[in-house]
Amino acid sequence: MATGILSKEVAIYAVPLVTLLLGILIGYLAQRSGYCSIGGFRDYVLFRHTRLLSGYVTLIVASFFGYLLFWFVTPAAMEHFFWALTSNPLMPVPGAPAGLSPAAYLILAAIPGFLIGLICVLLGGCPIRQTVMASEGSYKAAFFFIGMCVGSVIFATFVSGWVVVLMRAFGLGV
Amino acid sequence: MAAAPDPTSLKDLLSRCSRHPAFLGALIGILAAFSQSLLISAGGPEAYGFCVACHTRDLVNGMTNIITGASLALAPISKNAILPVMSVVGVIIGAFLSAKVHKEHKIKKTDYQEYLIYFIGGFVVLQLAMVFGGCPYRAALRTGYGDITALLFIIMMGLGVIAGTLLMLRKAEKEMN
Repeated sequence: MATGILSKEVAIYAVPLVTLLLGILIGYLAQRSGYCSIGGFRDYVLFRHTRLLSGYVTLIVASFFGYLLFWFVTPAAMEHFFWALTSNPLMPVPGAPAGLSPAAYLILAAIPGFLIGLICVLLGGCPIRQTVMASEGSYKAAFFFIGMCVGSVIFATFVSGWVVVLMRAFGLGV
Repeated sequence: MAAAPDPTSLKDLLSRCSRHPAFLGALIGILAAFSQSLLISAGGPEAYGFCVACHTRDLVNGMTNIITGASLALAPISKNAILPVMSVVGVIIGAFLSAKVHKEHKIKKTDYQEYLIYFIGGFVVLQLAMVFGGCPYRAALRTGYGDITALLFIIMMGLGVIAGTLLMLRKAEKEMN
């Protein structure tokens, strides 16, 4: 069990507050900069503009150094840093439907990755850009966000189970 | 008399920084790591500092669980805490404030067909993101954390964007002719 700076009794109260403040800061700056991961790739492919892409690349690099920094500060909070060295490198960090084999997780990373790129570039923005545009008053982006909200209930009730059943049917369970 | 720092140039620098995506990228990366080292005792997956899709899922399902007493699946960090993670609410508030302050808030309406397309788009993107276990942002955090599947996700996302851009270009060419 990983332990962070705050004890569990404090952390359960701090979670909504800290994430809210973090979100306000990110939302404010994302509106200022037009931050978008998909838009970064799109602008590079279309116009060779690297401005937005630099935001996404910096995020990857900065998250590595951020985790490295806080791994030095609080090693107990970063139990599996650096994941590829401390765990099975082909397994993902938990968060996806559990109980599948490494091959299944590679398939579940490759196909959704391609489709998310395709759909989001056609709709003109990644999830954070759509949320920010909804706050700016775009009704269609607001419907994108409502779609995500409805989708999260449907995913938890149906889709999550189906994916596991489907993958096991192909012999990709554990 | 010591030369006072020029307030206008510092302000200008801050303003330019706040408008550059790379600054925000660095900030999200560091703050996500900080929030993990602060809050991980509450439970929850690692590399979970910021994610639009997962945190929307946690918010909606967590609130549904609290209000209706259902037990929809969500990340342990949101299940253990008194309220689920609130970063998406924060993003909405922050972006709204910024748009209001800089007078960029403008209601834009379109037709119902487009609303339906965006609704379905959001629905499908969330399913795909949850199947993988994160939106592009958590994929970046996971790559920084050392997860190879997340790197594969980002590469495939780049290919998907190229395919989508080619589709858009072809469509635009057809409309020109």
